Amino acid sequence: MNTLIIFVLLITLMLTGMPISISLGLTVLTFLFTMTDVPIQSVALKLFTGIEKFEIMAIPFFILAGNFLTHGGVAKRMIRFASSLIGHWHGGLGLAGVMACALFAAVSGSSPATVVAIGSVILPAMVAQGFPKNFGAGVITTSGALGILIPPSIAMVMYSVSTNVSVGAMFIAGVVPGIALASLLGLTTWYIARKNDYPRLARATWSARWLAFKESVWGLMLVVIVMGGIYSGIFTPTEAAAMAAVYAFVVTVFVYKDMPLRRIPKVLLDSASMSAMLLYIITNAVLFSFLMTSENIPQAMADWMIAQGFGPIAFLLVVNILLLLAGNVMEPSSIILIMAPILFPVAIKLGIDPIHFGILMVVNMEVGMCHPPVGLNLYVASGITKMGISELTVAVWPWLLTMLAFLGVVTYWPALSLWLPHLLMK
Amino acid sequence: MFNKMLNHLEEGLITFLIAAATLVIFLAVAHRYLSGVPYIQDYTVKLHVSWAQELCIFMFVWMAKFGAAYGVRTGIHVGVDVVVRKLTGKPQKLLILFGLLSGALFTGIVATLGANFVWHIAQTDQVSADLEVPMWWVYLCVPLGSSLMSFRFLQVAWSYAHTGELPHHDHGHVEGLDDVAPLAVTSAEPQNGARR
Repeated sequence: MNTLIIFVLLITLMLTGMPISISLGLTVLTFLFTMTDVPIQSVALKLFTGIEKFEIMAIPFFILAGNFLTHGGVAKRMIRFASSLIGHWHGGLGLAGVMACALFAAVSGSSPATVVAIGSVILPAMVAQGFPKNFGAGVITTSGALGILIPPSIAMVMYSVSTNVSVGAMFIAGVVPGIALASLLGLTTWYIARKNDYPRLARATWSARWLAFKESVWGLMLVVIVMGGIYSGIFTPTEAAAMAAVYAFVVTVFVYKDMPLRRIPKVLLDSASMSAMLLYIITNAVLFSFLMTSENIPQAMADWMIAQGFGPIAFLLVVNILLLLAGNVMEPSSIILIMAPILFPVAIKLGIDPIHFGILMVVNMEVGMCHPPVGLNLYVASGITKMGISELTVAVWPWLLTMLAFLGVVTYWPALSLWLPHLLMK
Repeated sequence: MFNKMLNHLEEGLITFLIAAATLVIFLAVAHRYLSGVPYIQDYTVKLHVSWAQELCIFMFVWMAKFGAAYGVRTGIHVGVDVVVRKLTGKPQKLLILFGLLSGALFTGIVATLGANFVWHIAQTDQVSADLEVPMWWVYLCVPLGSSLMSFRFLQVAWSYAHTGELPHHDHGHVEGLDDVAPLAVTSAEPQNGARR
């Protein structure tokens, strides 16, 4: 009964359009004031201690690093490198766009940022080369979603924060599925381009490739620092994120000279306000999951599911449907922060690996970002291409289907996500 | 006048905090590895940076509270807008106002709870683990930040009721690309053309 009241209250408040963080907080307060005798003091304490974890602090640092690198030059250099490598295959610039998105995803933890950074450079170039507009838009909108699957990823840090799974393990687990999805999206692009005979680039010489690589290597080093540092134990994930932020600053300002010093305060302010927004959702989500645990809701759900005879296969199917539906109305960080604490205990009881479950949630979020009504990538891409949302929705179909198929593979083939972390961490 | 000063203070504070936190962690890590280098070692052993992690957390907690208030002013807090966008005219206006006022209510309650809590902590001599600063200094960000946030919600609601305008943050917009992108396109095109 209480469960029902909590969820009805939460959903009603959310539908009024108030910020998700506020609706979470108000639900908790209303419930506590009217229905229980959990002392309010313990709530006050949660408000303070909710985000006092050093792991959470990786989020502002990764946002800062990403914001420095999004400023122009890095994306352009990665596109040049990608097109010199694979631009002569079917799909030309489109295929290079997929690869550039994958490379950029490795320095940025956010999907929309990847779409903007790569799309704003490559889409006009594709149209100029004679690609149909919706082809380019479809490629970039979906490939940009790799941003949260290929580490570093803010969505993964969120998952780790709400379930106490190691951030490092999540990052390493994202590598193989990330590359696999990038290849599948590339394959889809290649197939469509071959069928329609879209323009290709001339094969680049090895010296041109080397030159393009040297140009982009400064940006690519960021992922080496983060992953190498975490894996070898030199840094904790949060320290690696701080290092990445400093490194990105040095590269953008002193190596590539893409940004004058006077623009730095603005970048800092934007990163701070974006981080504060996410941290505020986290604070209230912690409060909410505190309420959930104190009402024993996840346990009750787990017991109910087991009593109904739900096996892992049926449970994962339900999870996928639930997350895809939630992806229709909410953005990824909120979904992860609200759903993970509820679903995670059930998953553990059913014997599902925590890391596998995390990757599954992230891939679900990716799908949600690419379809209406709230797919953020769609809105970003529509801003760049000046195409309508409904037009774009049609344009992304081939790649979205690829992604859904990939989601099925990730769901029922745990080894894809678990092979690398098991290899490296045991 | 007062409002303008408050705006600058808010922006300055969160900009400073994110920069300082980054620097602190960078220096702490650098310190850890420089401690293994002979010669430099002699200087670094005298410094202790075990407090860096705690300081970073405190700075980010402060940044989160004041940044959230700044976010209300810039409209960065996201909500589920499927219903709001379907409505028009008066119902829509009332629903949006309801959302904003609920925000003010929630942050107001939190500020009151927080102030009460800080008051009790201040009576004790509780200090933080590493930095050994009184805990109530640290916790002070909750009543301060939340009351500012509540004030911002009221401000936004007031101006919405009068002018019908809401601050809107475009999540798709990435700062700094607008002036770089056209340049990038022109430089990418001839190059691709030449390669064909």
